[in-house]
Amino acid sequence: MPQATELLDLAFTVNGEPVQLAVSPFSSLLDVLRENLELTGAKRGCGEGECGACSVLLNGKVVNSCLVLAAECAGADVLTIEGLTRAERLHPLQEAFVQHGAVQCGYCTPGMVMAAYGLLLENPSPSEAEVCRALEGNLCRCTGYRKIIDAVLAATNGGPPHD
Amino acid sequence: MLKTVPKTYQSPRTVEEAVQAVSQTGAAILAGGTDLMPRWSRNLSPRPAALVDLKRIEQLRGVKLVDGVVRIGACTLMSELEADPLIRAAAPILAQAASRVACPQIRNRATLGGNLCNASPAADTAVPLLILDATLEVASPRSDGVAMREIPVAEFFHGPGRTALQPGEVLTSIRFNPLASGTFSAWDKFGTRPAMEIAVVSVGVVLALARGEVTQARVAYGSVAPVPLRGRKAETVLLGQPMRGEIIDRCVAAARDEISPISDVRASQDYRREIVAVMLRRMLENAASH
Amino acid sequence: MIRTAVEVQPETTTPRKVVKQTLIGQRVPKLDAPDKVTGLARYLEDIKLPRMLYGKILFAGRPHARIMEIDAAAARKMPGVRAVLTAADIELVPFGFARDNTALKKGKVTCIRDEVAAVAADTPEIAAEAIRRIRVIYEDLPLVTSTAEAIAEGAPVIHEKIPDNVPYRFDYSHGDIEQGIRESDLIVEDTYTLQRVAHCCLGTAGIIAHFDASGRLTLHSLTQVPFSYKNDLSRIIGLPAERIRVIQPTIGGAFGSKLDIHPFEPICVFLARATRRPVQIAFTREEEFLATPTRQPMVIHLRSGARKDGTFTFRDVRMTLDNGGRTSWGATTPWISMRTFSSLYRVPHVRQHVDVVYTNNVYSCAFRGYGNPQATFALESQIDDLAHRLGLDPLEIRLKNAQKPGETTGQGMVLGTCGLADCLKAAARNAAWDVKHSPPQKQRTGRVRGMGMASLFHVGGGAKIQRSDGCGTILKIDDFGGVTILTGASDIGQGSETVIAQIVAEELGLPLSNIRVMNNDSDLKPWDVGVHASRTTFIAGNSAQRAAREARRKLLEAAGKYLKRDPRQLDLTNGNVTDCATGEPLESIAKVLRAMHFGGNHEMIMTSDFYEPPSEMPDSDHKGDISACYAFGTHVAEVEVDLETGVVRVLGISAAHDVGRVINRLGIEGQIEGGIAQGIGYALYEELKVHGGRVLNSTFTDYKLPTTREIPELKLEFIETNDPAGPHGAKGVAEAPLVPVAPAIANAIFNATGVRIRELPMTPERVLASLKEAQNAECGGGHG
Repeated sequence: MPQATELLDLAFTVNGEPVQLAVSPFSSLLDVLRENLELTGAKRGCGEGECGACSVLLNGKVVNSCLVLAAECAGADVLTIEGLTRAERLHPLQEAFVQHGAVQCGYCTPGMVMAAYGLLLENPSPSEAEVCRALEGNLCRCTGYRKIIDAVLAATNGGPPHD
Repeated sequence: MLKTVPKTYQSPRTVEEAVQAVSQTGAAILAGGTDLMPRWSRNLSPRPAALVDLKRIEQLRGVKLVDGVVRIGACTLMSELEADPLIRAAAPILAQAASRVACPQIRNRATLGGNLCNASPAADTAVPLLILDATLEVASPRSDGVAMREIPVAEFFHGPGRTALQPGEVLTSIRFNPLASGTFSAWDKFGTRPAMEIAVVSVGVVLALARGEVTQARVAYGSVAPVPLRGRKAETVLLGQPMRGEIIDRCVAAARDEISPISDVRASQDYRREIVAVMLRRMLENAASH
Repeated sequence: MIRTAVEVQPETTTPRKVVKQTLIGQRVPKLDAPDKVTGLARYLEDIKLPRMLYGKILFAGRPHARIMEIDAAAARKMPGVRAVLTAADIELVPFGFARDNTALKKGKVTCIRDEVAAVAADTPEIAAEAIRRIRVIYEDLPLVTSTAEAIAEGAPVIHEKIPDNVPYRFDYSHGDIEQGIRESDLIVEDTYTLQRVAHCCLGTAGIIAHFDASGRLTLHSLTQVPFSYKNDLSRIIGLPAERIRVIQPTIGGAFGSKLDIHPFEPICVFLARATRRPVQIAFTREEEFLATPTRQPMVIHLRSGARKDGTFTFRDVRMTLDNGGRTSWGATTPWISMRTFSSLYRVPHVRQHVDVVYTNNVYSCAFRGYGNPQATFALESQIDDLAHRLGLDPLEIRLKNAQKPGETTGQGMVLGTCGLADCLKAAARNAAWDVKHSPPQKQRTGRVRGMGMASLFHVGGGAKIQRSDGCGTILKIDDFGGVTILTGASDIGQGSETVIAQIVAEELGLPLSNIRVMNNDSDLKPWDVGVHASRTTFIAGNSAQRAAREARRKLLEAAGKYLKRDPRQLDLTNGNVTDCATGEPLESIAKVLRAMHFGGNHEMIMTSDFYEPPSEMPDSDHKGDISACYAFGTHVAEVEVDLETGVVRVLGISAAHDVGRVINRLGIEGQIEGGIAQGIGYALYEELKVHGGRVLNSTFTDYKLPTTREIPELKLEFIETNDPAGPHGAKGVAEAPLVPVAPAIANAIFNATGVRIRELPMTPERVLASLKEAQNAECGGGHG
């Protein structure tokens, strides 16, 4: 049970914007993004790091935000799905997800896109096996993953051929 | 905005500060958080009165080769181990094990030290470190600062969730000698799926052969005993012997004998025993054909 | 998106046919995908209403016990707790298929997930802590953990009204079983065991309830059936249905889990009533595993026969269902299983007996396929066995018994269009069956490969199990050519709104970007029975098409007046009124609309339609043509089995589906691929393990869903039989792709190893045990 009265000052950057908050020491980054900052793109699919629906980038690396304490993020750079969309234009990854039918119920989608983005930052031209590996921590119950993989490959140089 | 002095979350910058912080009553260490936070979420562990985050201590990060010895800071991430050229060259089995921890999101946060100190019998990095004969370096609190002591990894695990660490101690680094070139090493973990798995069992082998005879044999198993286990009986069978079918059979039989798997929601004890035997056999046959 | 449609031919004396681009069959992105991909889509937990409280439920945590006392004093005292409810605080109206459930439990609990108390508080953390402080004194009662225990002599009675613990027995037959037995050259008999699996929607269960000042209730609910939901709920909470509004937020998956009313839903209403504030309940993942119903587990004892040429003679089925401690839709899955046994392939004599038995285990509801995956696993495994024993190719025996278009099955289902034979051939061809399917080898070590097949039969044009299987549409067009469609059909992520938009855009010659679909407010949208039985494309699509055709007629008539042309010579294409013969654009549709509105008769286009499919309710013998058309498909699976560990890898699945007509190629592929993934999980990995009435695995680590690392190679083929009943010939497909996966894999494992596994999931441990058992049997059962 978090100590209800003790708050921590937290200053960090979210989607390129500086943020200053007072947070409970046991609040997770996911809690803070969703409740304090109303960035509800990251989802609480399990709250225990097993589904990837809460994936965001922390200092350029994909993490489960439900397993990161907000307190640990002092001075950090956090990127969420909302930060990927620039000036009302979809990022090529987002566009690819739309065009390739990679979105059904969409609950896993923000986490999937962020995990894929994290991959592309390190490996701009991944193979299919590398894409599958990069997304192995993101569960999807609707799509069977095929079109998600296709979308990520399409968003990099030389996507899969259309049948 | 409340401005109480934050006592709950602490982020020391030096090992000395860390040891002092960890010595407080009700303090717990936070490294990657990937084992600790799910336990809080399920009310399996209480949230501690003081949480000591070790991640800002420079000394606890990084992989170095010093005087021919590989030294890894306890807060080195699994993703760093997976990619580190020194680890991949000197101890590929450790890089492999790190690469098979859960998934990228977890690997970007989980630390080597956390994996060891959590002391699950299924800890992915324990078996590689056992067969690397690693030594753990631990900082202990003293009235005038910090004292260092060493614990061989084989003596580190005392039971599920229990280690040799005393109250107030902090694991600072893990060191081992690089595997000599020409050494055969193999590690694998078995689960129902390729990813997102807690090992049903894991097996690791390091072998050195000279003129067809085994001059060095280290075997270890995970998830088949209360602690990650060195396979002393299996090793004894191999030492000084040629790598031949009959020796492999006896080694596998010794492995079956010295492990004590349990049945749980993941697998039965019979199945675990069977898989250890299969994995070990395949590794030894692979070694023999090299 | 519609591209420019027309090829204009040079002038000649004979009029040329103009080729018009169609949206039907195209790869059309889901209309709400941009919102989802940017994080803008609002799911239930993303909704925060002013002064909203958070509700939490105390679950029994024990499988069978009398409730002696509930002491909630400590919870009530906590700061931030606004209401604490037990059964004593509410009126208990029984609900559920067997009327054996109540929102909160009084007297006794009959399974671990029974709801005993509920709290509403300022934050979810305070609510969770309050729940922990509620003290309940139970007197444990003897446990019934299996159907065998439940029907044994002297078994504890779980529900007083059902002293023998068997609330339902179903019987079905067509033909004459004894004659079928006489006609058989071969009879086989085996038992098949199907496990509990969890839906594992990524979005967990939840609801928000709030009353307005006049006492009207608004629910933000994930229900798949908003209208019957309103009716059922109105009875439970004592509020007339017309005073209930159901808003359906973007849903994080359903797959049948939201077809029933669950206790947490009226509980939330009672909390909202007690606090006079909005209340949200949202399950944690742990609660989702422990306290939401599963797929119906079944033990199926099947005996079937064939002539030596492979003609099927009879099927005799006995099914036992573990109904758990309460009754949800799981108890009715045998009605769908019946249709598989009676009508998948031609079979003259069928008998089925089902016992639905109470236990103190967790209970079951609807899940994609609804009894069909279970039945098809048993049936297609046994058909494979018949083939093997008769020395027939598994493909040939199925082709021999595959129905032809126009046949009526023994259960009275009229197979107007029937692409089963084509599906069998296509799936086999695409899998290189001729080349890759060969008898099992006698290998003991290493890895072996094999191939197996299974087909499916399912409803494709709705399912008339209630008096109306219809759907309504209201359509309006504004002054700019913007079209709003209010459809009764809900979207649960499968893309129904996109298909409906395509159908309407096609009729009206307007770009897809002009079309808005509204489908999530029961105050606005017309009636629809709900998202189930794979009915939405067919029924909602037909309804939308009819409303759109009426709008088209009105628009062309107005265009004719405006252009002083015969409307029959006009067409609507790409936002314009065009000349049928030449394709020449004559005027924009928008201008014609404004001319209609502001000039002449001052008319605007508003149309509506209610479509009831031409099907019949089943009679008291369960017989009748309950669907307007039927879906067929075949899957061929190729597997690799590690003979020493039992690990099965699915290398590829070749799937051929008779879908009538493809409307959205992207969407339909997504349904097949997603269904196959669920089928693989069902076949190999997934099981909600219940022991002693308790759930053992309530995390994603130990309840294993397929990940990106397990996708096999997929080859999909769509057989278009163009059913005249469907919109553009389309039939429903959503459940079908899950149905044949497990038996195709089981049959492939047999082909690879010579060992048949009759229990799911086929985990490595189970496969290895079966392999060893077979080896021991071969060796005369000697050494181990």
